[in-house]
Amino acid sequence: MSDNSLNNLPGGFKGMSHDMGSDQTAFKGVQWGKVMMWIFLLSDTFVFSCFLISYMKGRASTVVDWPNTSEVFSLHVGDVPVPLLLIAIMTFVLITSSGTMALAVKYGYEKNRKMCGWLILATAIGGLTFVGMQVFEWSKLIHEGVRPWENPFGAKQFGSFFFMITGFHGTHVSIGVIFLFIYARKVFRGDFDNGKRGFFTTMKSDYVAIEILGLYLHFVDLVWVFIFAFFYLW
Amino acid sequence: MHPGIIFLGVIIGSVLFHIFTPWWWTDIASNWGAMDDTINLTFWIGGGVFILVCLFMVYCIFKFSYKEGRNVEYKPEDHKLEKILTIATTVGVIALLAPGLIVYNNYINVPKNALQVEVNAWQWGWQYRLPGEDGILGTAQVAKITDDNPFGINLDDPNGKDDILIEDDVLHLKTDRPVKILLRSLDVLHNYYVPQFRAKMDAIPGIITYYWFEPNKIGEYEVLCAEYCGVGHYAMRAKVIVESEGNYENWIKKQETFSDLIAKQENNKLKTTLVAKTND
Amino acid sequence: MSDEYNQKNTPLEAQSSETISGTPSKDIDYVRPAELPEQDLYHGHSFITKWIFCQDAKVIGIQYFLTAVFTGIVGLVLSWLMRLQLGFPELVPFITAEHYYQFVTMHGMIMVVYFLTALFLGGFGNYLIPLMVGARDMVFPYVNMLSFWMFFIAVCVLMASFFVPGGPTGAGWTLYPPQAILPGTPGSNMGIILMLVSLSLFVIGFTMGGLNYIITILQARTRGMTLMRMPLTIWGIFTATALAMLAFPALLVSCIMMTLDKMLETSFFMPAILQAGEVLNYEGGSPVLFQHLFWFFGHPEVYIVALPAFGIVSDLISVHARKNIFGYRMMVWAIVGIGALSFFVWAHHMYVSGMNPWFGFFFATTTLIIAVPTALKVYNWIITLFRANIRMNTVMLFCLGFIVTFVNGGITGIFLGNVAVDIPLSDTYFVIAHFHMVMGIAPLMVIMGAVYHWFPLVAGRMLSEKLGKWHFWITFLGAYSIYFPMHYLGFIGVPRRYYEMYDSPYVASATGMNEFITVAALIVGFAQLIFIYNIVSSLSIGKPAGKNPWKANSLEWLTPEVPPAHGNWGEKLPVIHRWPYDFNVPGAKEDYITQTTPPSEVISAKVEKT
Repeated sequence: MSDNSLNNLPGGFKGMSHDMGSDQTAFKGVQWGKVMMWIFLLSDTFVFSCFLISYMKGRASTVVDWPNTSEVFSLHVGDVPVPLLLIAIMTFVLITSSGTMALAVKYGYEKNRKMCGWLILATAIGGLTFVGMQVFEWSKLIHEGVRPWENPFGAKQFGSFFFMITGFHGTHVSIGVIFLFIYARKVFRGDFDNGKRGFFTTMKSDYVAIEILGLYLHFVDLVWVFIFAFFYLW
Repeated sequence: MHPGIIFLGVIIGSVLFHIFTPWWWTDIASNWGAMDDTINLTFWIGGGVFILVCLFMVYCIFKFSYKEGRNVEYKPEDHKLEKILTIATTVGVIALLAPGLIVYNNYINVPKNALQVEVNAWQWGWQYRLPGEDGILGTAQVAKITDDNPFGINLDDPNGKDDILIEDDVLHLKTDRPVKILLRSLDVLHNYYVPQFRAKMDAIPGIITYYWFEPNKIGEYEVLCAEYCGVGHYAMRAKVIVESEGNYENWIKKQETFSDLIAKQENNKLKTTLVAKTND
Repeated sequence: MSDEYNQKNTPLEAQSSETISGTPSKDIDYVRPAELPEQDLYHGHSFITKWIFCQDAKVIGIQYFLTAVFTGIVGLVLSWLMRLQLGFPELVPFITAEHYYQFVTMHGMIMVVYFLTALFLGGFGNYLIPLMVGARDMVFPYVNMLSFWMFFIAVCVLMASFFVPGGPTGAGWTLYPPQAILPGTPGSNMGIILMLVSLSLFVIGFTMGGLNYIITILQARTRGMTLMRMPLTIWGIFTATALAMLAFPALLVSCIMMTLDKMLETSFFMPAILQAGEVLNYEGGSPVLFQHLFWFFGHPEVYIVALPAFGIVSDLISVHARKNIFGYRMMVWAIVGIGALSFFVWAHHMYVSGMNPWFGFFFATTTLIIAVPTALKVYNWIITLFRANIRMNTVMLFCLGFIVTFVNGGITGIFLGNVAVDIPLSDTYFVIAHFHMVMGIAPLMVIMGAVYHWFPLVAGRMLSEKLGKWHFWITFLGAYSIYFPMHYLGFIGVPRRYYEMYDSPYVASATGMNEFITVAALIVGFAQLIFIYNIVSSLSIGKPAGKNPWKANSLEWLTPEVPPAHGNWGEKLPVIHRWPYDFNVPGAKEDYITQTTPPSEVISAKVEKT
């Protein structure tokens, strides 16, 4: 529902105070679903921040040394150990899928159903690939003896924080992938064009839903950047 | 009866209760009288606010009860009044915070001549360790605790050999000598609290916490655990005996050191081996 | 059904009396047209979609209210059992130490989270928000409906913990590790797991509900309803919801980590521990980390309970004193300021926790700073009463009871906030008396006053004033006499969470007091039967209320049907011209001017522009 009437709004702080002093809406021209996703993401940011801050505090308090992350997280290509190879690929995949999602949103608003639908599917495949690689990494580490309650490389908390934080993040990605498949189907069926009512919520479908899902996925991507920085690189 | 009278009664009753209450602090037996003084100051300021606010409220409900056609003031804001109230409240807050923080600063800075006492807390009892002749406590770990080594003292640490071990829950202290209590927990959170000393701190497993005080009244004091630690929490008691220097030295002389304990165990082992040999 | 909504011709611009310069038209009643089309509401037709899985926020509000009250009654009964053990232990030999600690824990968690939070946010929030901002319903009615059923399941899981082997957790409502998951504490197997699962479900449910409350207030107000024309009830609930969105994550994270510590033997919070002569498998964890996470949630949580109470009591006082709330803008800023500051004070619960001692300075300072806006609110309430025209009905009595108990509890909070004073008083009955007075009694006074105030709207009938006054005086005087003397038990050094007090010199002297408190608690508890009887009987024999019996100004009283129907406003959404506090405006005919009254109808009234 973006429209030309947004051009009349003043900008900057003056605009912000006008918006806040206004009747009816505080965020002009922003649909309810979008505001909902932003606020939900703010709350979810606090969840992941609590996880990461707890990880930092936990790591600072261990009685035994923390494992060397570049050794633990390296893959062997032939005989050569390449540190952090897997997560480099995972990061690339996730960021690319953010890119395909952004394109999907654009094509959605242009009502180009084919491009939009295929790009959503591409994003879903990217997400699935990421989760698959995460599963592979988990199984590799479990095979090497890393458990939530102990590991052979160093402090017990390494495994605990690793599985908990990546597990939580991976769950978030998986939920996103499920919604991507549902939305791809809706796009190809033309539900967003017709304003067909959703099965559960009985609310009318609109292309803004794809943008809202895009917000969620970009957030999940951003969280991954922080996890990768704090957990894998530090 | 006009409700205002009952509210007034509540205020007056509260003040009278406070003045005549038989339940007041225990007689202080340590140097932390400053805490009592800060509490008194808080009573004056806070209590004053409570009484003034409630009396004003009572006045309003007497004077302005509903009357058809009463002339009511319509004044949504009064910036001057709001400013005055803000400033007055801030001043009151500073008046409470400043002394409180000065006392707290003293609380976290332990005097250099404080005698160290390690208090071990476990579900649901207490034991103590003193540094002995060298004035240094040996390092210890929960993981090293065995029947033979009830305090988990590191056998490689020479400082630990002369540590005085007190396995029953009565601690003796010298009067007029600051004491730094080092708290160590073997399992869950506990807290070594003697109301007459006012000071307290939780004992956390995995780290060593501290607080200090200077007992200045000879007597026997009950210790209460002041951090919930399971079903035995209410029964986790100990005793502190504050006595003169002479009596304290007598008591210390009778206590066992870690090396004494090791020697006793080796003797027992020897005896057992001998008995076993003779019985063969 | 949309009012003058015309997307193409209506430029989006901010309009309020403060930002608009001159009127765009000569019409003094002009209010900017609607920015959005009418909300597309789902209308249930079967019994299930109208009363069970209902998407109408009013029905959801009542569902929350009833479920929360049910848990509150369970919490109340638990408190009787606790008090019987403390006052007359020989009367209740069947209460063991294990049972006692389980009662203590369940009582605390139920009352704080499942009763007070759910009641204020889910109960009052759902019913009042759409009505007071002029919306037909919440912005996401389906998600709103789901949020209630999540809460319901969370309550079921919690109640289930009473019936599992080992019983419910007895770890104290603060659930501190390591003891919470070790055998020395009752319910350390299934009990604690169910508690943690229940709390996680609660958080998820309240996130869903919270999104609704916030976005409805921000984006779904009716024409003319600016943020500064909203009743303080909405400001209180709005800020509390914002706090909830940001504080519950810390609780969720701590619950997840403790669940893993229990189920998978991870060592997030568990250091090396000696139990029954054996060193356990844990190592390297930090119990203090749990406390930081828990209290980062826990302190905003108490403001989540308090802020709606502040907002509601402001409205109740204003209506029944027939006077505008004094200093509305200051009240709004105080609510928002208290909400923001509440995130910076959490470690005042941890002064003796063994955290870095230097933190004590910081948190004592922030805690005492937060006292300033709180005090300003108190002053504004009593200044509102000055030169007012006070109806001494049950609602007003509860407001006055709130003021007395809140100031009392707030002042004792100052004692505890000052770190040096907290050290001798921490973990004693002083703390228990403080938080019951400020969080139990004071908000409870508001809840009861609010029920007497809004019952005529919800049920279309008035509650009995006579029964109400009896209910008030017994509850107020009884509760005050329970908790005021209890502070002094803290002074003599009686620690909290003590099953019994054998042999201590401190408590031998207070046996009589303990007995008195127990008797008072039982009397106050049973007096609530008067309240329940009043509600149930008034549903059928109460005086019919008609429309706006209190002559209030805010929107919820101005619906075409009473009780309001689904969609709230009938054909046309209301249009707002003023704030809700135009009482006794000089020059006006009546002593109140509703929010929807256009200026042309009260041309002689000298209103201040709002």
